[in-house]
Amino acid sequence: MTQSFLSIRKLRKAFGAFTAVHDVTLDIPKGEFLTFLGPSGSGKSTTLYAIAGFQDPTAGDVLLQGKSLLSVPSHKRNIGMVFQRYTLFPHLSVAENVAFPLRVRRRPDAEVKRKVADMLALVRLENFAERLPTALSGGQQQRVALARALAYDPPILLMDEPLSALDKKLREEIQAEIRRIHRETGVTILYVTHDQEEALHLSDRIALFRDGRIEQIGTGEDLYLRPATDFVAGFIGNSNFLAAEHLETVGGASTIRLADGALVSGINANGSFARGQKTRLMIRPEAFRLERSPNSAELVVEIVDVAFYGERRRIVARTSAGQEIDIRPTSSALAAQDVATCRRPVFFDPGAAFLFPA
Amino acid sequence: MSVEAQQGIATPRIPAGLGGLLPALILIGLFFVVPVLTLLLRSVTDPAPGLQNYAALLGDGTYARVFFNTFLVAAVVTIVTVLVAFPVAWMLAIMPPALASILFGIIILSMWTNLLTRTYAWMVLLQRTGVINRALMGAGIIDQPLPLINNLTGVTIGMVYIMLPFMILPLVGTLRAIDPMTLRAAALCGASPLAAFRRILLPLSLPGIAAGGLMVFVMSLGYFVTPALLGGTSNMMLAEMIAQMIQSLLNWGLGSAAAFILLVVTMALYALQLRLVGSKRVAGGA
Repeated sequence: MTQSFLSIRKLRKAFGAFTAVHDVTLDIPKGEFLTFLGPSGSGKSTTLYAIAGFQDPTAGDVLLQGKSLLSVPSHKRNIGMVFQRYTLFPHLSVAENVAFPLRVRRRPDAEVKRKVADMLALVRLENFAERLPTALSGGQQQRVALARALAYDPPILLMDEPLSALDKKLREEIQAEIRRIHRETGVTILYVTHDQEEALHLSDRIALFRDGRIEQIGTGEDLYLRPATDFVAGFIGNSNFLAAEHLETVGGASTIRLADGALVSGINANGSFARGQKTRLMIRPEAFRLERSPNSAELVVEIVDVAFYGERRRIVARTSAGQEIDIRPTSSALAAQDVATCRRPVFFDPGAAFLFPA
Repeated sequence: MSVEAQQGIATPRIPAGLGGLLPALILIGLFFVVPVLTLLLRSVTDPAPGLQNYAALLGDGTYARVFFNTFLVAAVVTIVTVLVAFPVAWMLAIMPPALASILFGIIILSMWTNLLTRTYAWMVLLQRTGVINRALMGAGIIDQPLPLINNLTGVTIGMVYIMLPFMILPLVGTLRAIDPMTLRAAALCGASPLAAFRRILLPLSLPGIAAGGLMVFVMSLGYFVTPALLGGTSNMMLAEMIAQMIQSLLNWGLGSAAAFILLVVTMALYALQLRLVGSKRVAGGA
């Protein structure tokens, strides 16, 4: 077996009777940007804290280049970390904050000075070196925290929801910075967030956590286009779930009957289903079309509301079974006069729909 | 930012607040400012006009020794109090709030217990045949009783015990304002626990140490009961000397001069701290 850069082996963390992390196993190659995504309490931060050394795991191991980190105290792990809250040292200037990890390592003054200048240039805060952290905005503080975490060239950078305290515009700006810094430094990044858009923008791969387990791990495209479970489909992007009855599956393509009695063939099955089994059909809002195309399946709906969202429209429609669904065609696909309430068919490619157990 | 907002709201209320201050100002004026001025007057007029009382106090070796002893005791008590209070305050700051409020209750309760009772309790514990000496001798650690009372050791033990709450309370306020995540960040940056303490925790808690330290030092300078009961005759403190001058020697002039010197020194120390730490930090404890 080839040795991975960072390896998490059957990591388990229990707090009393509650198990926060169940036997998580992960291999992370050098230079990867891996995001732990999941709702709060799903075990993503606990896993990160075990790597940082803030919490001792109940069982399992964390290996960096084949060596276990567990017996190494936090201050000797040589790991960089950016926290959710601003954790800059309030009595030290921006430059001294960045210099701190180098000073405790007793690096020569000239090296500290050069490195601090490099790091502040990396996060574009050269002109703020002498300020105190309290004189900076939240976004600037997190950039200083990033510079501090990278100043000693750690092999791994941990980021625990670093942007959650920032407003949306600032968040997008710093996401771009983080991508650039990852590209320029090549550092391996483990990033924790509950924001699926952030995960999709930033990551090479995403590990989606649920109840202390990894539900699915893969690229953003994998999770979005080929969700392994209905939880993944529901967590990443927007999804519509329609009640359906499974009739048969041949070669991974299922035939189902929708609530209004319509038959649909060629659906992607996830797992095996019995004949007559109750299932849920997942269709992305943007997978719906307003025009028929070859092989497309059809769903008759009543249009409830149409809103203009710039590049797309958002249509709320109701199926004949009374379920509301979300449809997002491109704006040009629907003329303004079609906005009126009406009954009409909408279409979808069965290959872009997924079947999950009910 | 919230501080500015609060100040912004508070500003228009200041004229109304001044009227509310009036009763307190009258009280302090009548029962503090007037007596202090009388004291000052007495120190330069009794028994005859002139500065002879001050000259006597500052020129005499015996009195100088009392001054020196007073500052020595206050300094030792302050340093020992800081050393004992810091770990306690840190534990209180990071422990679960429910447990912390129980411990706070115990600390406050000790403040409410009668001072004489507590000091006599220390006499029982510290004397030659006291509990501590007997326990240590019984355990075979010492052969002769340790001289724990009627000396600097006794005064320090008794006063540190009494002063602890005055150090712990402001210190907890300061330490609670420090985000424990900051220390985790320091650890991941490579700081050993000792380095994190020295470079991060200690500098950040200095305002609390300064506020509590000043309070303890100033209170210790003028302390009477504990030094009188636990101290020896060879290390008399200023408050005892003032009491003796006025009660036994009926020398009001000399006693007033000594009291006035103590007041001036105290106010000078406070002014010095305001300059060093900043008025907001002393008042706010953070």
